[in-house]
Amino acid sequence: MFQWSDEQEMVRQAVRDFVDREIRPHRDELEFGDLPPYDLLRKLFATFGMDAMQRESFKRRIERERAVEAGESVEAQDAEAGRGGSADAIAFTMIPIIELCRVCPGMVTAMGVSMGLTASAIMSKGTIAQKERWALDLLTMEKVGSWAITEPNSGSDAFGAMTSTARIDGDEFVLNGSKTFITNGPHADTIVFICKLDEGNPPEERRIVQFVLDAGMDGLEQSKPLRKMGIHSSPTGQLFLTDVRVGADRLLGESLDAYSGKSGKDASKATFSMERAGVAAMALGIVDRCLELSLDYARDRVQFGQPIGQFQLIQLKLATMEVARINLQNLVFRHIEMTAAGVPMSYAEASAAKLYAARAATEVALEAVQLFGGNGYMAEYEVEQLARDAKVLQIYAGTDEIQISAVARSLLAQG
Amino acid sequence: MNVVVCVKQIPDPADPGALDPETKTLVRSGKLILDESDSYGVEMALQLVDAAGGGEVTLVSMAPNDEQSGLRTALAMGAAKAVLVSDEALRGSDALTTAKVLAAAIGRTGQPDLVLTATESSDGYTGTVPEQIAELLSLPSVTFAKSIAVDGGTASVQRQTEAGYDDVQVPLPAVVSVTAGVVEPRYPSFKGIMAAKSKPLDQVTVADLGMDAGQVGWSGAGQEIVDVSEAEAREAGTIVEDDGEGHQKVVEFLAELKVI
Ligand SMILES: Cc1cc2nc3c(=O)[nH]c(=O)nc-3n(C[C@H](O)[C@H](O)[C@H](O)COP(=O)(O)OP(=O)(O)OC[C@H]3O[C@@H](n4cnc5c(N)ncnc54)[C@H](O)[C@@H]3O)c2cc1C
Ligand SMILES: Cc1cc2nc3c(=O)[nH]c(=O)nc-3n(C[C@H](O)[C@H](O)[C@H](O)COP(=O)(O)OP(=O)(O)OC[C@H]3O[C@@H](n4cnc5c(N)ncnc54)[C@H](O)[C@@H]3O)c2cc1C
Repeated sequence: MFQWSDEQEMVRQAVRDFVDREIRPHRDELEFGDLPPYDLLRKLFATFGMDAMQRESFKRRIERERAVEAGESVEAQDAEAGRGGSADAIAFTMIPIIELCRVCPGMVTAMGVSMGLTASAIMSKGTIAQKERWALDLLTMEKVGSWAITEPNSGSDAFGAMTSTARIDGDEFVLNGSKTFITNGPHADTIVFICKLDEGNPPEERRIVQFVLDAGMDGLEQSKPLRKMGIHSSPTGQLFLTDVRVGADRLLGESLDAYSGKSGKDASKATFSMERAGVAAMALGIVDRCLELSLDYARDRVQFGQPIGQFQLIQLKLATMEVARINLQNLVFRHIEMTAAGVPMSYAEASAAKLYAARAATEVALEAVQLFGGNGYMAEYEVEQLARDAKVLQIYAGTDEIQISAVARSLLAQG
Repeated sequence: MNVVVCVKQIPDPADPGALDPETKTLVRSGKLILDESDSYGVEMALQLVDAAGGGEVTLVSMAPNDEQSGLRTALAMGAAKAVLVSDEALRGSDALTTAKVLAAAIGRTGQPDLVLTATESSDGYTGTVPEQIAELLSLPSVTFAKSIAVDGGTASVQRQTEAGYDDVQVPLPAVVSVTAGVVEPRYPSFKGIMAAKSKPLDQVTVADLGMDAGQVGWSGAGQEIVDVSEAEAREAGTIVEDDGEGHQKVVEFLAELKVI
């Protein structure tokens, strides 16, 4: 794949029209006010039939899993399902990410955490009953989801310093702990809570387990949105759990056997890989918009008697932005191709891609601010918002430093 | 209920257009898109078929270079199939020839209950093709529809006028032109876009329509563009300084123009 197909291009155009008409007019309320993004996201899903597509693929997946459980042969279905899904299906998830990020990267964060991270955690680790109970509504954006691993004292070292616990009490578990920087936390209907199983053993030996919580449960408190630098269209908050009692039906997998050895950590790691691919598409949207705005400005803004685009130092900025755009687009195409071929991206490659994408987006957006001069620093000119938004890509889903060590460690481990 | 919608595919109005200095006609060599004016007819047709509980929407278009992009857009919105007339011989066709070609193409679609068009295209905007199609097909013609409701063999049309609208009843089949902006054209769903790829598109030539190349194009045109000139630049307006009596002067100015 080296370019979008005709159909993918049509989808892109249609989504861009929708974003320009339905979302851009709300930019001020979303990015400088308190408008939550969920209703607009639902409108996007309904308009393009994305909710119906999610329902259909969910149904197929559940049918297949039932067949497997019943011991039926599913080879024919596997062949038909064509490895990891069609390139179109994957492109149709990437395109809205790119197009939304041209206006509100925060909306993609809110959407990605809910239908991506939270739903995926349930889809990869949950039982069929749990998937039906929680995942489908998240995949269609009907409900809002949060995926909670980070704690005040445990971020990059997510598992090592984790203090949230689940204690076994008869048939039940008692959950305690606090989580912070949780995307959608203030509005979440469904929360995947990651903690350590306290069996009286030392913390470093405890198993990592995952539970599903519903808003309003006794002992669960969801904070108001935290004030932050950017992506205001993505509400971020804290979660406090005080003796939240849950049955095994809320333990993902419904059995502790599913969490033996390192499998708890591996499940979370698989989620990281997926998250990192989404970041390349987000960065592409940000860079694409910054370049478009910068080009117009470079042509129109006259100083010293000529458009600033005539100055070589400005040309360097434009060319650097274009290089980033091409690289990011190629990363997105590669992700689509690999997923369609059923070849999973290695953890190290996903980390390398995420590192590059996050840095490129931040650098390009800051250069766009520079190119716009004083106007660049003003909210009206958009690049100011995109620059604040881009920065988060270097922090969440694993900081740049963590990606760097993942890449380097993988290199050193070879041969 | 089966509805035919005539949809024109035009150069993207967002790109700067160009005239061929030789023929003085619009250059149509690049990619063409669905004329936005026609998206309202497509939407209305889809709604009518939905309301009728059956039938389908068929598109008819005449365009150069086998252009299908605009048709694919309307197919993605939900139209079932399309007839495309594309033929070198059509180059230079005037509005009447266009109407003849479209009328013949409509004939290939069977017996539609209703033919919809826009009131005028965005690039040619002679606003004459719909009535000519009606005459050629010997069908009644209603123009400037803001809404259409079908009951049995009759359509009730609200026909926009300067003062408001007229209620018009017309026996079907009929040709009705739809005013721009009266409905909200739907976005094509992702599924619709994928499905459009495999919807039937009947591409025909002038000969397939039983017409003779001499009847169409430059040779068939009853009109000739002899000159094209720049639109006059807008003159500077009159500035009314408000010295407390400004409103009086504005009223006098409007009265002079017979606007009030
Ligand atoms: C807007 C936003 C939304 C978020 N959403 C979620 C969410 O939905 N769910 C969730 O669970 N979490 C979420 N997070 C949390 C995010 O994943 C963490 O902030 C991130 O992993 C970094 O952890 P930390 O903030 O504790 O920083 P720390 O880990 O304390 O890092 C501080 C600095 O030290 C560096 N550092 C740490 N370890 C090393 C090392 N080994 N080598 C070199 N440098 C190192 C880091 O790179 C960083 O520069 C979100 C964060 C933000 C900002
Ligand atoms: C001198 C001359 C040269 C021309 N040269 C060319 C040429 O080289 N190539 C070429 O393709 N055309 C050519 N045309 C045709 C012209 O561009 C218009 O298609 C034609 O005149 C119809 O007029 P209009 O666009 O003003 O239609 P209007 O009457 O304004 O259109 C009203 C509605 O009729 C329907 N309609 C009109 N045209 C079409 C169509 N083509 N297909 C489907 N529905 C339609 C649409 O619903 C449209 O909204 C030429 C016309 C003239 C006068």
